[in-house]
Amino acid sequence: MHPDTGELLALRDGAAVREVAAHVRGCPLCAAELERLDAVRRSLAALPEERPSRDVWPAVRAAVLQSRQTRRLVRAGWVAAAAAAVFTAAVTVRGVVETIEESRAAQAATVLVAQSQQLEQALQSYQTRERVMTGWEASTVSQLEDRLETVDARLARSGERSRESLPLWQERVELLQALVDARSGDDARPTYAGL
Amino acid sequence: MGSWFSVTLDDVTLARARRGDLGALEAVCRAFEAPVYTLARRLVRNPHDAEEVLQETFLEVVRSIERYRGDGSFAGWVRQVAASKALGRLRYHRVRAGETSLDTDEDGEAPPEPAVEPVHPGDRLDVAAALELLSDSARAVVWLHDVEGYTHDEIGALMARTASFSKSQLARAHARLREVLGRQGETERCTRTLANS
Repeated sequence: MHPDTGELLALRDGAAVREVAAHVRGCPLCAAELERLDAVRRSLAALPEERPSRDVWPAVRAAVLQSRQTRRLVRAGWVAAAAAAVFTAAVTVRGVVETIEESRAAQAATVLVAQSQQLEQALQSYQTRERVMTGWEASTVSQLEDRLETVDARLARSGERSRESLPLWQERVELLQALVDARSGDDARPTYAGL
Repeated sequence: MGSWFSVTLDDVTLARARRGDLGALEAVCRAFEAPVYTLARRLVRNPHDAEEVLQETFLEVVRSIERYRGDGSFAGWVRQVAASKALGRLRYHRVRAGETSLDTDEDGEAPPEPAVEPVHPGDRLDVAAALELLSDSARAVVWLHDVEGYTHDEIGALMARTASFSKSQLARAHARLREVLGRQGETERCTRTLANS
């Protein structure tokens, strides 16, 4: 009795029972069918590679940036809230011993946090209407984002050392401004951030 | 075919990609563009869907690459993501069409094959065209098994079915390919001979 297609496929793939192999050795019809099954497999494997008609990387890249932006906004919101709490606590606890300098630092930080949040929103609006960037622009944006990640990490670590966080907030605002300029196509400003 | 394991990505690029470096992620996507698209094009029915699968695969890769721990080859991991996305696309179309699953039962009783003009003895179809005449599940199984080298167990897991489902689909696929490739006269043998023996 001849084996069925499934049994021949198993033999082709090296998983057949001994009786099937013995049958095929003595049966020209089954041997030919086995060879045909193997030839189909070879023909399929020899089909040429195909290429997409469009480049999907820009869409993937935009999604990555959008995702990072969202994460950064969440983190920035947490950092801003923490910074505000730190300053409030400092003013409340120190009370009468609060110096003019500390008060100014608190005010400056509050302004920088607000600016930072405004720039984040502006940046988000640019990303929702994604435009095609040149390679130079994309590289600039990538470097700025990397630096922003670093500043955010240092801000998160700065804790209650409010005076140390001031220059970080200043740098964050500058980087965000440069990012907004790069996103808007105004390529004069990225040099402002040292690029 | 798309050659997954001829893709060369150095360890430095892969490490940078895992850290989220956009340039390295782009290099990864560019390197796997043809293999992923070719697999997608063989499993789904049109170029538009294949491009969607390509994009979904890369989105998944860039989102999850930091979790890739090097268990098995990186190419194998990307291929697994691509196969999963392509099968998901097929399921999506089936659900939209009101069908409940990629196929019907464990015995491999699949929906009817796509309509095709009768193949006359002597007619020869290109193997790529013949592949497109198979049902979604039979086409997926024959490609994943015969070309990509997945085992029946692996295909069963990918399709949320069993190894026996994969085996029966492979046999159906080859029976159909024999029919549409126009070689009945030559080897219309065992099954009919069997029936008479």
